[in-house]
Amino acid sequence: MNKTVTINISGIIFHIEEDAFEKLSKYLSTIKGYFSKTDGGNEIMSDIEARIAEMLQGKTSAVKQVVLMADVDSVIETMGKPEEFVDDATASPEQEEQETQYTSAESVKKRLFRDPDRKAVGGVCSGIANYFDVDLVWIRLAMFLLVFFGGVTLWVYIILWIVIPEAKTTADKLAMKGEKIDINNISKSVKEEAEQLKNRAKKYGNDIKNNSENFKNDSQNFFDKLGNFVKEFLIVFTKFFARLIGLVLLIFGVMFMLGLVSSIFGFSIAGSNTEFNDWINIFFMERSHYTLGLIGIILFFGIPFLMMIYGGVKLLFKIHYSNRWLNISAGIIWLIGLIAVLYVGLNTGKDFNESAKIKEAVMLNTQRDTLYLSMAPGKELYEHLGVNEEDLEDYDDEGNKRKVHRRRSDYIVAKANGNKFIVGYAQLNILPASGENFELYVIKKARGFDKRAAVDRAKAINYKIIPGDSTIQFNEIFTVAANEKFRVQEIEVILKVPRGKVIFFDKNMANIIYDVENVTNTYDGDMVNRRWIMGANGLECVDCEGIDFDDMDKDGVPKPPPPPGPPTEVNVDVKDAKVNINEHGIHVNSKDANVKINNDGIHIDTKGNKGEK
Amino acid sequence: MSVNAENTKAQMRKGVLELCILSILSKGDAYPTEIIDKLKETKLVVVEGTLYPLLTRLKNTGLLAYRWEESTSGPPRKYYKLTEIGEQYLKEVQQSWMDLVDIVNKTINQ
Repeated sequence: MNKTVTINISGIIFHIEEDAFEKLSKYLSTIKGYFSKTDGGNEIMSDIEARIAEMLQGKTSAVKQVVLMADVDSVIETMGKPEEFVDDATASPEQEEQETQYTSAESVKKRLFRDPDRKAVGGVCSGIANYFDVDLVWIRLAMFLLVFFGGVTLWVYIILWIVIPEAKTTADKLAMKGEKIDINNISKSVKEEAEQLKNRAKKYGNDIKNNSENFKNDSQNFFDKLGNFVKEFLIVFTKFFARLIGLVLLIFGVMFMLGLVSSIFGFSIAGSNTEFNDWINIFFMERSHYTLGLIGIILFFGIPFLMMIYGGVKLLFKIHYSNRWLNISAGIIWLIGLIAVLYVGLNTGKDFNESAKIKEAVMLNTQRDTLYLSMAPGKELYEHLGVNEEDLEDYDDEGNKRKVHRRRSDYIVAKANGNKFIVGYAQLNILPASGENFELYVIKKARGFDKRAAVDRAKAINYKIIPGDSTIQFNEIFTVAANEKFRVQEIEVILKVPRGKVIFFDKNMANIIYDVENVTNTYDGDMVNRRWIMGANGLECVDCEGIDFDDMDKDGVPKPPPPPGPPTEVNVDVKDAKVNINEHGIHVNSKDANVKINNDGIHIDTKGNKGEK
Repeated sequence: MSVNAENTKAQMRKGVLELCILSILSKGDAYPTEIIDKLKETKLVVVEGTLYPLLTRLKNTGLLAYRWEESTSGPPRKYYKLTEIGEQYLKEVQQSWMDLVDIVNKTINQ
């Protein structure tokens, strides 16, 4: 009794013996190999299949239902071997390569197809199930779960749908269900290809040996073989690396795509975050630009990543079928993404086109030789600027409120009276004055579409300094008018100190002074809480004598030296014995005995005699 | 030399096969199996497979057209017919075949 298989050829069901089935499927894939690159190859294939179905039908009857080996043999004999009937005008130049590829195959090479006979949506799951010989139910279940809970697989499914060709002819369907393929077999086939390469090299070596004997008579033949060898070598080599490249493309494509998807996901979450939202409004000319830019970026990066996956799958599974329509539309969509990104980039960028710098002098009415520089005592100045000081506080990772140490080019969006506006941080620099008096300048900077816009914007920056008789009170922050866009607004304060006059930096000035030059190259944070005199070469410290900056704590206050006290340990070394007294107790170690006195009591250890009291 | 003779015969058969198919179809539409049966009588076709690529090529060049017809037994059949271009082409080729036969016969019998 022989096992039979049920197959469908041209829509007709046949029961066929297993060995006959194998022969038939090999025959069909050989023919398909011949016509695969031919114009109208699929049509020829289905015509031939229809004829075979007809012939087989003539060989079966109600009494004899099963197709036998003899039937297949006779069909093949009638139809002829592919090499006998290929029409020269139709056959393609690649025919030879195809021939070796298909006829040399020991059994039908399994290929990935979409299965139209068992499809729910596109036949992708059933195709995969066929390919890996897994029950369809599991693949569908996995796909279903991933689509609804993974969020990622939907586009994977769509890509697979596009990439994997549908099994149209019987040869396709047979190849689809052919040899069992799993990860092991993929690596096996890669190994086989490498093996093939080795064998060819060996064969080539033998050929050289044989040829060298009658080289003179046969030199033409030798060079032919050499040429053939190089050709074959290149083919196998290319196949091997095509798979490798396919795998790499696939892995990276999926990784990049996951990265893109998760960052888009992050952006859409951030979009519901008010602070991020404020920044969108403050940075872009219009909110729609942000949306457009985001879509542009998704397309601009996503399309190449998808194409990597597409190409990777094609190379890895040796899918020789290219969809020109797909390539063109991917190109067009990518171009749309590019245009969107460029449009938003140029539109946003042009508003940063020109920069302006305005220098405003602040009147000082001081006759003193020493000026005390300090930060304004928050409240009233913040109120003046319309900022609630608490808004400027930030939260650390544990969610605790903290005062953030901010610098120039830090910006936050603050809110007062229902208006939102930018708060930035000012910086102070000290320079030598050319005249006899202190001079104070506020430099305002901003960018804009043209010079005029930039100047107007710079002028509108709101910054406040309170000069006193012997003091100047600075402010840490500046504000920009409500609903004004962010265009790199900056405030730089410059205090010019005449030769021989002194400034004192209050402790709280550490945040605002920035890279102030001085003769001792003292770091900004260490300059506070001291007096500095303007000398011939720049600022010199008046009261830094004998201070090692490394000894100071954060506030610039020198650390007290450790208080003198009793020694923490006493060691006595005498002949044949050591005595050690410390916080743990007394420990005597002599030639004859070992004595410990501590919290646990007295422990005496003598040679040969142990005791405890 | 016998191998070469076989080869030449095969080449000759291939050359005239197209003409024969067109001639058969000029007498009425047919589906491949019918064409094959007729050709088999003339021993022009050794294996059936030869026919299908040829038919597809002739169809693609516009000499033939086809229609589907349901069959009572088996898969639907593709009935081929000669197009107007095909008829024109057949006339020309038939004429030149006649001429060729004449010339060849004369040459052989000289």
